[in-house]
Amino acid sequence: MFDDPRNYLWLIPVLPLLASVVTALAGPRWLKQQSHWPCIIAAVCSCFLSFLVLRAVNSGFEDFKRYYMWFEAGNVSVGFTLGADGLTAVMLVTVTFVGSLIAIYSIGYMHHDPGYARYFAEISLFLFSMTGLVLAENFILLYAFWEGVGLCSYLLIGYYYARPSAAAAARKAFLVTRLGDIGLFIGILLLWSVSDHSLDFSRILNNATEIDPGMRIAICLLLFSGAVGKSAQFPLHVWLPDAMEGPSPVSALIHAATMVTAGVYLVARCTPLFGVTPEAQLVVATIGGFTAFLASLIALTQSDLKRVLAYSTISQLGYMFLALGSGTRNEGHFLAGLAVTAAIFHLFTHAFFKALLFLSAGSVMHAMGNVIDMRRFGGLRHVLKKTHWLFLCGAGALSGFPVIFSGFWSKDEILADVLEAGSPGSVGSFAYLFLFCLGMLTAGLTAFYTFRAYFLTFWGEVRIPHEAGEHPHESPPVMLVPMAILAVGAVALGLILGPTGVFNDFLQEHWMVSAFPHLLPFKEHHHNLLLMVASGVLALVGIGLAWWMYVRKPASASELAQALPGIYGLSRNKFYLDEIYNAFIVKPLAGFAQVLRVIDLYVVDGIVDLIAQVPRWLGMLARPVQNGLVQFYALLMMLGLAGFLLSVLMR
Amino acid sequence: MSPVSLHNFLAVGAILFALGAVGFLARRNLIIMFLSAEMMLQGVALNLVAFARYRGNLQGQAFTLFILTVAACEAAIALALILMLFRRRKSLDVSLWQDLREPELEPIVDEEPLPAPPEPVELPRLTPAGPEPEHPREEASHV
Repeated sequence: MFDDPRNYLWLIPVLPLLASVVTALAGPRWLKQQSHWPCIIAAVCSCFLSFLVLRAVNSGFEDFKRYYMWFEAGNVSVGFTLGADGLTAVMLVTVTFVGSLIAIYSIGYMHHDPGYARYFAEISLFLFSMTGLVLAENFILLYAFWEGVGLCSYLLIGYYYARPSAAAAARKAFLVTRLGDIGLFIGILLLWSVSDHSLDFSRILNNATEIDPGMRIAICLLLFSGAVGKSAQFPLHVWLPDAMEGPSPVSALIHAATMVTAGVYLVARCTPLFGVTPEAQLVVATIGGFTAFLASLIALTQSDLKRVLAYSTISQLGYMFLALGSGTRNEGHFLAGLAVTAAIFHLFTHAFFKALLFLSAGSVMHAMGNVIDMRRFGGLRHVLKKTHWLFLCGAGALSGFPVIFSGFWSKDEILADVLEAGSPGSVGSFAYLFLFCLGMLTAGLTAFYTFRAYFLTFWGEVRIPHEAGEHPHESPPVMLVPMAILAVGAVALGLILGPTGVFNDFLQEHWMVSAFPHLLPFKEHHHNLLLMVASGVLALVGIGLAWWMYVRKPASASELAQALPGIYGLSRNKFYLDEIYNAFIVKPLAGFAQVLRVIDLYVVDGIVDLIAQVPRWLGMLARPVQNGLVQFYALLMMLGLAGFLLSVLMR
Repeated sequence: MSPVSLHNFLAVGAILFALGAVGFLARRNLIIMFLSAEMMLQGVALNLVAFARYRGNLQGQAFTLFILTVAACEAAIALALILMLFRRRKSLDVSLWQDLREPELEPIVDEEPLPAPPEPVELPRLTPAGPEPEHPREEASHV
């Protein structure tokens, strides 16, 4: 069975699904506080199998696909294909590896929670959907799993469903992502109509150049709108900060490391389509770059640690889209390969360090009695020594601290690509040059707000909220060990995979060469030393500024806030986007819904009630027949019989 | 061809059925109505037997046997029901049982009421011979 990796491909999603079913059925009654076992066993097995898939892909396994029959009726057979290539293998490993670690962490974090079994059932279901999403070989299956992860996200954001804010956040996340999903679905239908009624990736993407250019732009933008919703990009990013109502491991797994990268995966998967549609790419890059900048501005002033991290996630996802959008053509070279590699590499490293940061934030919450407001605690480096070091690893990676941390290498690749796209001779070079400047600025802001959060939480005098009790305790090893493993990844992965080019070569060789040969020749990747120095200096300046403002002169931050009330207020209130949406979209729609409600109550229901009255009136006519006299009934029977016989005889 | 032809049997059957039907519709005494229904049943049974003989097979006979069995069972149940109904109203008049009608309808009452039942006539009694046997008093009131 293990000789042919195609044989166990289906097990990767199915094991978590089984675990989910088992936990859901047996968890609340029998497993109780042991409910984590099915989930963890399934996740670890899936992770092992994912690594086998990665190895098989790496050894050049050809035609890595398997067709599964769903049902067959007459000469119609409906089935689906699961397949793996370089991109899928990377995603699988990321999802299952980070997922396993977070599941283990959850044992400690969710300890003695009343919904323990429900939590693990939903996490398993999420792993099923996410692995299925990256294994799917056609758009319909991808869409199904796409909605599956959306559902799990909804369930887990609303995990503390008794809290109204959590329920509202879950609803918001579901509805806002749905807006994008409608676009995605229309895009898929359009693809279906232009591609000879097939939705297989290979069929569509190999013939991407044959689609009419106008239609191609429309399809790309519609597909991208799905990604915008799922990956929380600019107009639809508002759900992600609210999604932090869920438990911290959920924020780490779904709303930082895996699910929100589904949009990036989708656009990367469709590179053959986007790569020949520069107009759509410019839109992708613009939205990505703008979102990265906007989110980092908002993150500057947030006081909720998890919200800072949420905005940084939005910002980093913006970077990924910026990279994906900058894969244009430049003097006969296609940048698509380079750009997608950079985006996926950033996705990969981001999954590690952002999961680590969220888990550290969860560890802080755990110790602080569920308080996460940075204004209420400080100086925690004396109290939570291990968490402090682990958080520092994550923060270093996120801020792009030069050379050591992984974030530096992946972000640097993205910036290099955007700069390449902005060099003279490529399509829309001026726009890309502007986006590059925005990206550099964002890099500095990222370093600043990351370390602002770090210094506020871990430096200064020791302040502990009363919810934490007398002696706040460090998290147990079951939480710290997964964090440590992630920290190793956050630190070392960049240095191992970045400068050596292992990651790039792997993706090019095992995915791009076969997936989009029409975008050859690739431009060779080489590190731009000047850019690396510049972005490194920016990161250091950001960190230094944060240190100066929040450690050296703690009063300067509030003085600055008072000196610039306009900008501070805008950032603090998230540019009033929630309020604007509320006033211009939610309120009018609610009013419209009221109108519809009245129509429903009085027009639609009125007609239905009217129709229901007709049999009643008819019944009134027939009522006198029911007079209770037995012989009257017998007479009617006789007359009826006589009438029947007459009609037979006279015929 | 037997001297008594099929038509004669059928005619007798039809007359029995019609008499039964008229009796069922016209009479108000529960027991008479029941007997009329039985008569209709016998008219049908006669038809079956006649056709069985006419055709020269036994299917009609078999049906008739079934009908007789069913009629016997039915008689047992019907008489028991009639007995219970009589105990409730002390009368066998079927028009006393009009309760299962639409709520707002008025009960149907005879335009000219039935003649009052004759006073119970004191039947001549034999002089009891010998001592009276011991038996519970209540049984007498049951009938």
